Amino acid sequence: MTQHLITSVRHLLHHALSAYRTNPRATAALGHQLHRLDEPLRVAIAGKVKAGKSTLLNALVGEAIAATDAGECTRVVTWYRAGATPRVVLQPLDGPPVPLPVVRTGGVLEIDMGGVPAERVDRLVVDWPAQSLREMTLIDTPGVASIDAANSARTTRFLEPDDETPTEADAVVYLMRHLHVADAQFLESFRDQGVARATAVNTVAAISRADEIAGGRVDAMFSARAIATRYRSEPALRGLCQNVVAVAGLLAFTGRTLRQDEFAAVKALAELPRPELEAALLSADRFQRTSDPALVGRFGLFGIRLATSLIRQGAASPSALAGELVARSGLHELQRVLRVQFAERRDLLKARSAVLALDRMVRADGDPYRLAPELERILTATHEFAELRLLAALRSGAVTLPKPMAVDAQRLLGDEGGAPAVRLGLEPHADRADLRRAASIALRRWQGNAENPVLGRRAADACRVLVRTCEGILAGT
Amino acid sequence: MSPVAANERLVRAVELARTAIEGLSRPDLDARLARTRDRLADERVRVLVVGEFKQGKSMLVNGLVGAPVCPVLDDLSTAVPTHVAHAATPSVAIVRETERIPVPLDQLARYACESPNRDEHRQRISRVEVNIPRSILEGGLVLVDTPGVGGLGSVQGAATMAALTSADAVLLVSDASQEYTAPELDFLRTAMAACPNVACVLTKADLYPHWRQILDLDRGHLARAGIEADVFPVSASMRWHALTTGDAELSAESGFPELVRYLREKVLARAGELACRSTVHDVLAVLEQVVSTLDAEAVAQRDPERVQEVIRELTAAEARATALKERSARWQQTLNDGVADLNADIDYDLRDRLREITREAEQALQDNGDPSKTWDQFTTWVQQATAAAASANFVWATQRARWLAGRVAEHFDAEGTHLLPSLRIERPGPSQALGSIRAMTVKDGEPFGFGRQLLTGVRGGYMGMLMFGMFGTLVGFSLLNPITVGAGLLMGRKTLGDERRRIVQKRQADAKVVLRRYIDDVTFHVGKDSRDMLRGVQRVLRDHFTAQADQLKLSLQDSLQAAKNSVKATQAERDARLAEIKLALDRLEAVRKHASALLPGAAT
Repeated sequence: MTQHLITSVRHLLHHALSAYRTNPRATAALGHQLHRLDEPLRVAIAGKVKAGKSTLLNALVGEAIAATDAGECTRVVTWYRAGATPRVVLQPLDGPPVPLPVVRTGGVLEIDMGGVPAERVDRLVVDWPAQSLREMTLIDTPGVASIDAANSARTTRFLEPDDETPTEADAVVYLMRHLHVADAQFLESFRDQGVARATAVNTVAAISRADEIAGGRVDAMFSARAIATRYRSEPALRGLCQNVVAVAGLLAFTGRTLRQDEFAAVKALAELPRPELEAALLSADRFQRTSDPALVGRFGLFGIRLATSLIRQGAASPSALAGELVARSGLHELQRVLRVQFAERRDLLKARSAVLALDRMVRADGDPYRLAPELERILTATHEFAELRLLAALRSGAVTLPKPMAVDAQRLLGDEGGAPAVRLGLEPHADRADLRRAASIALRRWQGNAENPVLGRRAADACRVLVRTCEGILAGT
Repeated sequence: MSPVAANERLVRAVELARTAIEGLSRPDLDARLARTRDRLADERVRVLVVGEFKQGKSMLVNGLVGAPVCPVLDDLSTAVPTHVAHAATPSVAIVRETERIPVPLDQLARYACESPNRDEHRQRISRVEVNIPRSILEGGLVLVDTPGVGGLGSVQGAATMAALTSADAVLLVSDASQEYTAPELDFLRTAMAACPNVACVLTKADLYPHWRQILDLDRGHLARAGIEADVFPVSASMRWHALTTGDAELSAESGFPELVRYLREKVLARAGELACRSTVHDVLAVLEQVVSTLDAEAVAQRDPERVQEVIRELTAAEARATALKERSARWQQTLNDGVADLNADIDYDLRDRLREITREAEQALQDNGDPSKTWDQFTTWVQQATAAAASANFVWATQRARWLAGRVAEHFDAEGTHLLPSLRIERPGPSQALGSIRAMTVKDGEPFGFGRQLLTGVRGGYMGMLMFGMFGTLVGFSLLNPITVGAGLLMGRKTLGDERRRIVQKRQADAKVVLRRYIDDVTFHVGKDSRDMLRGVQRVLRDHFTAQADQLKLSLQDSLQAAKNSVKATQAERDARLAEIKLALDRLEAVRKHASALLPGAAT
């Protein structure tokens, strides 16, 4: 279905390109959009200062390619794309791109902007040979609510551009430590920014630095997950993002890049008598006095507590420990959410970005070539867009259905995953006959609901969208 | 010297002075000393613990007093201010507007923390009071654990801001995970303006290996922003551990001893010094008046020939006292004019701020179509904006009032002995006033459901059909033909559209009325609070200075009377009186010496 959508969007873009050929600015923008259709999905990582954006990016990639520091670190928007060879290019606000040297010190990529001040830089683009970047291009942004207003402004400009340039990211992972007024405002403005009509569908919130909740106690991750669950049902947040997960970026990154010598060091710690270790772990300062100071930087106090207890429980090899650390960090859950909510809907989200960009152009430059009707046709007639819109409306409360129906509806619309079996709430390996049976039951149920006079008009409209969804699943199986 | 001992010594000095002037028939001076003593007993030093939420404010307070007085949870935050003060027996009470309700100790968390399902009755609690026997609190220290700020625009932030004006010191709490953010620095800047005694605390230093780097960064930010404040890195969990194990080394490492020292030496001692100065000043002023009366009498008794001279001198002195009263007329004028000006200015400022909000809100209502859809967001915004405006107004009013007090005191500066009375604003600030205002609710108005829509549509359609049908019948068509049906449908749709527009307009108008009523309420309540505050300030200043002028005059009159009486007395009577006076003077001199020894700087 989505293949068809991409084709028709591409067709429309080509059409627009020939129509606007006398307008160089429009041609450039359209060419950019066409090019973008073939690229991986762009996911921006945003959040307040020191929310752990760069650390999480490193964890997702599995390599230290984004610089991290105790102080505020990321100052320019940086793109990380898949590439055959490592390459760093600086794109100034005006002028041609400048290639920068690729320097790795101790496994960490160091970018020296060659004395170009941050305010003159539009973006840095890093090409890196990494498997995880093939699926999605990751974009690191400076923190919101930074002490340096210019840094915040760069992020805001990037994610909420003016009318001239459409938004660059297809989806956003928003990191926060606790839900703060600034977070809510940011998410809200991101939604307002007409990332039009569909709202929370392309935002996922993550409680980052989850290992630091509860003062780094061993049960910190449980607390963090409980908080994430509470936020998930928080009305203020429901309309703003699609899901909330808890993740400990540092733990995940360390797990993915655990070295033999580090394993040996942690193993030695685990063999210490318990009271002695606990006394050393009272504070980071104390720990650094007795052990390797680099260790606490890599694991954090929580990480060391967790790793030593994992080894005592039987994690005997570096790979076993690394696997456990990553599993406990919540990275898998985040990756799953990214896969289900972004990657599976990749074409749809990309098509949406392109259509919205074109829509904006038509509105701004006038429409001498009658593109608007075709655009309108794609926006309204494409069922996937209708699904996205309904999903967003359900989440934000603009359309209300009775509780059990709403849960069913959201799953059917692909809230938990786009595969037919997931949508119908079946086992992933359900066979065709089961699928067909479940789909026709769902179809009849929603047909019934659509005729139900007790529901309001908007709810009935919603039911009709769901009927079409069921029909689509039936036709596809 | 501990603050408690210092306080006790001051009380003893006052009591000594009271016994010394006993029998001199000066009840006015005795009353003045009694007031001084009461003030000493009631001396409280309020330290506000503020910061963004989830930074470890409650943990800090717990660590300072060494008891779990403020609930600490991973997820939920403190929701109402908790005042922790000294008392011989532990007790907990919640304060709801004016009533004070004692609650069992284990119920504390239920009242102090936010709960996911907000219940109405908790919302109106204005604060929780915890009293426990702890040596750190003995000097009258009150630690106030506040709800997290969460940005200055929030209602919570506005309430904290307003509380700043009544605080003696402020501790800004920020954890060591990151350097200061822009909102935190903004908050600090405002806090500095409202309360000069500000210190920063860097919490959770145990958890972050890079806390030293963060400390340097923070100091840099403070220096760049021109804020002079100490930064204390602390670790509450280490302190807690040290308290349970009694490990002195660990306790030193936690950074708490330095913070406690700061509170004792910079905050308590400074407040104590102020209290000491004003108390000793009161005692000395009273003694001086009594002594001057007795001195004059002694001269007259000893040397009857000089009586006339003494009387002349005293008359001149009385003239001076009258001049002071006259001057008092001048300062009273300054005070009255100042308060009147201030009243006008503050009222104007409040109205101006609120008018701006009204304008913006009305614009938003006008632009956004049907207000019933965005009503919740809209009311939240209005409430936040008004709370922020009211607290800004309140802080400004307090600053202006202090400035006015300084200007009035300038009139007395020639005397050099008049201290400013302590101007503690005990009013709760605008948050209380805002809490008592009814919430913004709009009547659901006319529901425009399907039935009504149908009826409206049919009515319009019927009218249209009839209108065109009547024309049709004139030229021989039937009443019901395709043209009239079409016209009916068109008219029906138009009527429906008109009706819908009318309802939206009506809702907009209703919303505007509600908005205006709310703003009016806010203006009324907050305006009254500001005026009350100013009136309080005016009364305190007037009473203070008037009482001093009156006492001076009374003393002079007493002396004059005594001198005149001495002319008629016999030699024997004179000698007896002289001996009495000498005895009294000696006693007073001893008390005076004792009191002046208490002054800071003299006590070495």
